[in-house]
Amino acid sequence: MMTNQNAFQRPESARFIRSGLSYVALAFASLAVATPAFAAGTLAGTDIDNVAEATYDTPSGPVTIQSNMVRIKVDELLDVTVVTTDPGDITTAPGATGNVQTFRVTNTGNGEEAFRLTGNTVVGGDDFDPALTQIVLDTNGNGIYDAGVDTVYVAGSNDPVLQPDQSRIVFVITSTPVTVINGNRGTSNLLAVAVTGSGAPGTSFAGAGQGGGNAVVGTTGADADANSFLAVQAASLALVKSATIVDPFGGNRPVPGAIITYSLVATISGAGTLNNLVITDPIPANVTYQTGSLTHEAATLTDAVDADVGNFNGTRISVAAGNVPAGQTRTVTFRTIIQ
Amino acid sequence: VIKRHFTKFAAVALALIGVSAQAATPLQLSSDVFVEKQVTRKDGSRTVVLEKPNLVLPGDNLVFVVKYRNTGTATASNFVVTNPLPSAVAFNGTSDGLEIVSIDGGANWGILGAMRVKQADGTVRAAEHRDVTHIKWNLNQPLTAGAEGKLIFRGVVK
Repeated sequence: MMTNQNAFQRPESARFIRSGLSYVALAFASLAVATPAFAAGTLAGTDIDNVAEATYDTPSGPVTIQSNMVRIKVDELLDVTVVTTDPGDITTAPGATGNVQTFRVTNTGNGEEAFRLTGNTVVGGDDFDPALTQIVLDTNGNGIYDAGVDTVYVAGSNDPVLQPDQSRIVFVITSTPVTVINGNRGTSNLLAVAVTGSGAPGTSFAGAGQGGGNAVVGTTGADADANSFLAVQAASLALVKSATIVDPFGGNRPVPGAIITYSLVATISGAGTLNNLVITDPIPANVTYQTGSLTHEAATLTDAVDADVGNFNGTRISVAAGNVPAGQTRTVTFRTIIQ
Repeated sequence: VIKRHFTKFAAVALALIGVSAQAATPLQLSSDVFVEKQVTRKDGSRTVVLEKPNLVLPGDNLVFVVKYRNTGTATASNFVVTNPLPSAVAFNGTSDGLEIVSIDGGANWGILGAMRVKQADGTVRAAEHRDVTHIKWNLNQPLTAGAEGKLIFRGVVK
């Protein structure tokens, strides 16, 4: 594991040191290679054995003796962390199902440990409570929720067992109430608790540690939780209708023969996109639709049902405006003549 | 047949010599380890006591005590005590500061400050306490009959 550089080989770092003294000091220094260690510390159950050795000279030659061996065992520390790996709020919509929120549970203790998971969606300080559908373990380890592939978590039956420093991705699947509005936020919380025990740091469970020692609650309390947020992005629609009249005498009185131009302005607000917006308007009594007067975004449309987005069927006009992002408007106009 | 018996006899004789050499050792060496525990006194103040542990946790401070004693009648010279550090223990200094250390399993020895460690990325850094693998004391004065002493070093459970 350790390697030595030739004691007289000049280390890289000494190349630019001009002082002869520094050079000598470095040249005689031995070089060892650093070894990685567990973040969680020495594994639970490890024996720490210490023996000292002494050598001395006697008239009959050198002698080597050893001390007694002292053995102590490393206890299991129970520690866990939970974080969300979601990059930010997860977008949802009113009535949406299958919201996926992602968490990472890490065993920061020094022994193999199982963790009990609990999802909580009734958390204060938010606008709505998502409904918890299920908790799913990232069984195939790809970090992505694969419905039907990743295993549904059942408390007490498949509590994830993690080695020291090992992590498991956990998905919390929820649905969103239909009553939410754009901008609402809802919180989902995942709690992980060491199955061996939890509580105040220092709490000891005799004989429960891996490797035969005790299990001792570490600084995390052997439980941890994290929040992830859902944000509702919902588009809403306002439709405003207006009319202008031009009479045959150059005025704007509603007399027979006067032309009424109707304008329908659909304004999409909120966030996201409103899909499949269709604007329809029946032709009022006592007026006659003026053939070929239908427009959408200032472009004239034919009255027939054809390739363009609008038509007049004898009683009403209809324009399929399609998918409209929030912040935009769609304007439809048509003309009628007062009978 | 005679040859086999002779071999057996020689082995027994050698074993006996080994035992008598052990018994004649005029020096005794003993090792002890204590763990520092924080205790709260009745008045609420905190103090650190040393306990003899059976079980420890990562981060616990350990105190190792190596006692030596010349129980013979002759003076021992060139007395050297070596303590390999258990792999789960990070060195945390000695009480006398007279030790030399090894950071490579006992192959090279010196003062910690003069040693260098090559890191995974190829850069070189000064050796630190955590790199130490062995501690050694060269006691320069002869150990006369009846003389005794102790060497103390500290470690942290990794």
